[in-house]
Amino acid sequence: MKNGKQNQPHMTTEAKDDRKKTNQISINQSERRGSNKVWDFFCSVKLAVVIILVLVVACILGTVILQGRTLDEYTAKYGYTLATFFRITELNNVFYSYWFAFLLVLLCANLICCTIKRWRNTFMQTGFILTHLSLVLILVGGVVKFQLGVKGGVNVYEGKSVNYFLTQLINRQGKLDYVKKDLPFSIALDDFILEKNEPKFQLVSYIKNKDRQKILEVKVGQRQRVPGSGYKVTIKDYIPDAELKQEPVNTSDTPDNPAIFVKLLGSDKVTAEGWLLAHDRNYYEDKKQNLRVEYIWLSSQEELEKTVSSIETAHPKISVMISEQGLSQDYPMELNKTFKLEGTNYSIRMLQYVLNYGDRRPLAEQPTDNPSVQVEINGPDGSETRWVFEKFPDWDKMHPAKYKNLKITCSGIASGHMARNTIRLFQSPEGKQVMVSIKDNHITSAIPWELEKKYTIADLNHQIMVSNYFPSFDFKKEVIKKSDEVGMPAIFVEVEGPSGKVDDWLFSNQQYATWYTDNNLALVYESTGDSIKHFTSKLRIEENGQTVAEKTIRVNDPLTYKGYVIYQSSYDPEAGSFSGLQVVKDPGIPIVYAGFGALCFGVVFIFYIKPFLRKKSNKEVEE
Amino acid sequence: MSLINLTLIAYIVASVAYIAREVWMSVAIKWISLGVFILAFCFNLTWLIARSIKAGHPPFSNLYESLVFYACCTALVYIIFEFIYNFRVIGALASVLAMLILLYATLQDSSIRPIMPALKSNWMLAHVITYMLGYGAFGISFITSCIFLAVKPFAKNKKSNEVKKGNEISLINFDKLSYKLVAFGFPFLTLGIVTGAVWAKKAWGDYWSWDPKETWSLITWLAYLAYLHTPLIFPKMNISKSKSSVILAFWLLISFGIVNFTFIGLNYLPSAADSEHIYGSQ
Ligand code: HEM
Repeated sequence: MKNGKQNQPHMTTEAKDDRKKTNQISINQSERRGSNKVWDFFCSVKLAVVIILVLVVACILGTVILQGRTLDEYTAKYGYTLATFFRITELNNVFYSYWFAFLLVLLCANLICCTIKRWRNTFMQTGFILTHLSLVLILVGGVVKFQLGVKGGVNVYEGKSVNYFLTQLINRQGKLDYVKKDLPFSIALDDFILEKNEPKFQLVSYIKNKDRQKILEVKVGQRQRVPGSGYKVTIKDYIPDAELKQEPVNTSDTPDNPAIFVKLLGSDKVTAEGWLLAHDRNYYEDKKQNLRVEYIWLSSQEELEKTVSSIETAHPKISVMISEQGLSQDYPMELNKTFKLEGTNYSIRMLQYVLNYGDRRPLAEQPTDNPSVQVEINGPDGSETRWVFEKFPDWDKMHPAKYKNLKITCSGIASGHMARNTIRLFQSPEGKQVMVSIKDNHITSAIPWELEKKYTIADLNHQIMVSNYFPSFDFKKEVIKKSDEVGMPAIFVEVEGPSGKVDDWLFSNQQYATWYTDNNLALVYESTGDSIKHFTSKLRIEENGQTVAEKTIRVNDPLTYKGYVIYQSSYDPEAGSFSGLQVVKDPGIPIVYAGFGALCFGVVFIFYIKPFLRKKSNKEVEE
Repeated sequence: MSLINLTLIAYIVASVAYIAREVWMSVAIKWISLGVFILAFCFNLTWLIARSIKAGHPPFSNLYESLVFYACCTALVYIIFEFIYNFRVIGALASVLAMLILLYATLQDSSIRPIMPALKSNWMLAHVITYMLGYGAFGISFITSCIFLAVKPFAKNKKSNEVKKGNEISLINFDKLSYKLVAFGFPFLTLGIVTGAVWAKKAWGDYWSWDPKETWSLITWLAYLAYLHTPLIFPKMNISKSKSSVILAFWLLISFGIVNFTFIGLNYLPSAADSEHIYGSQ
């Protein structure tokens, strides 16, 4: 049976028991010191609890307020007034401040006095005495470290040696200072070795509307749910060392994405070749030769003929339409000239034009990707400036403008700025194929072209040939396995979500995330980086030119010589050519460690050994 | 189903069983609830072992693993105390606590990453294990304090807030139980700090550098130290026994808050960026 007394906290019980004893036994003692209030004050638990609580507050302040920064940093972060307040109260350096030191001295006094007062040579007191004195030892050791110890760092290059190190401190002006300390020996770095872990790869999922990132398992064949969402991901294949091959293929005879393969030949050698896609990148430009090749697909034969015949009339111009008045007017592109719109009170002026909107390069270097003109409109409500795009005639309709009723389009800007030699390859669904050569804005020839035939380009010593035609061009993605070793892994992933199943290859070297069709789930297959496994320095300690100690140090395994301990702390992250060493000297260590030992044994004694012994003796009494 | 989820479910079942035991007071349910709880603990432990085999290092290299380990230690301390003191209500809450910790763990990044060179040390092993056992004990003492504060108003008429245990009456009061739990955990916390200091000396060259994590572990230690010393001053200050036990129970709630802040909250401190051992968000 357990009894009530036994269940009472040991500390309180004993304190009470002992107090009674003290009262009885040492009346003489207390008479001698009885009136000494100071002594009682330093012995009291009340003081202990107060000190402990003040220490708690101090420690909290010491982590909430940044510590040991330069004055400038404080002023920038907290403002001048607070920064000054922190400096005066030493709240910027709590743990090394005078008032904190005072607290610790008080604590020590308290510990020593209460231990002396309660000192009794009984075995049961062991824990009490050990814990309280151990704390004194640890604090004394700390003072020794503060007074006699040094701590600093130094970088050593491979094959070099140093005989000093640098300590960092904040000086009186609140600035960061380095102080050079000489060593009574020199440290030579014979070798520095950086060992890296094998790269690892992981599949990361990201759910946009929840801003949540999770790591998925990479296990082939297993269907897994993306945590916190309804998506399901199945990894269907894994290749440890993959390469992506993209091969152009023709997927059907319907010309929904027509493309031709064009070769340029100079004295029978191919100088350039590539696919031109009518609906995508439809031209090739050679600025050096001042040559441009365009591939133009037209929806019917009539249109093809019409376009070919009207090439020369395609001078740059802008058209202005005012729909409600049924008015439409063309103007030649002449910059900075004001045109009045007949029958209205509008006037327009062209300010500038570009061949590729947003391109900062000079006009001559711009590709003719997005030609546009900047137009100023003056009307009853003042002036408005807008960009007009050749390829996007409806741009102004979709964007805010003052004069919405005024529609402006432009055309022929690109051709007005053509390369000296332009070759246009026209094609229509019926199979009509015309090659038009334009030189200095004039058609020099217009002939039908055929596959696999070479045509000479006038003036240029070059020939052109169309060697292939795909009505429905597409890329076939093919992933091939280069080797069985882990090189550049890739996984084939199937995602199930609200808009069905989608699958794709994810490559570990891919720069961008792969998004599921609803643009809410993204997957990235990436390397976790080749993290550092170990870094070691082969050190030699030299004194008067003689090697006196040698050791290969690594993190957790330092070298000790003449009271100095040399630690591996960092390395040159770029070239890996120097090793960062930390040099520490702390004569207080034996005292502190003695304190640690006593503290550990003391607490175990109080809370485990003593109750156990008590229980045993209680049982004996019962029996 | 993954082992983690299995563990979670087992903890939930255990807490339900403990509540059932409260209602029906049957010996059978008593063993079932303890059995399920031990099963949950075993799952938890198995996960940890499997993880360390898979990762090739002890299972507390990041926040995720440490939290799972924390849950396991909390459960272990509870089991030890249930065997010694044979108490009841706490079981339900203890398994809820373990479950909440695990649940919080599942929100963390669970990937296995190679560990930093500084973490490769036996001192680290001793450091984390002792710390977590201490934390586990403080977790359970948090529960006993909560229950103490909850039953206290209803126990006014009785001499003390006695609780029934099985068929017999136990004289264990929840405040005393809290004390015992702290007395159990405090040596572990102390050993944890000391081994941590020795490890820091080996790895970084200084046993104490007022790093935020170190400072907060000192705050935790001081908080429980204050708890252990205050009972000695209440009689002198003429504070009644019932009042002082309430104050102490509240103090334990605050202290457990400090424990958890030290464990997972330090990222919110402005000084966190410089710390060598705060779990980064990587
Ligand atoms: C690991 C740390 C500590 C432990 C385990 C510890 C333990 C104890 C124990 C067991 C007692 C009661 C003695 C008894 O009833 O047998 C006690 C009393 C006391 N402790 Fe501590 N203590 C610790 C740290 C401190 C600190 C830091 C202070 C403050 C400066 C302190 C000041 C006191 C005082 C003043 C008493 C009262 C002595 C008396 O009754 O005259 N202790 N401590």
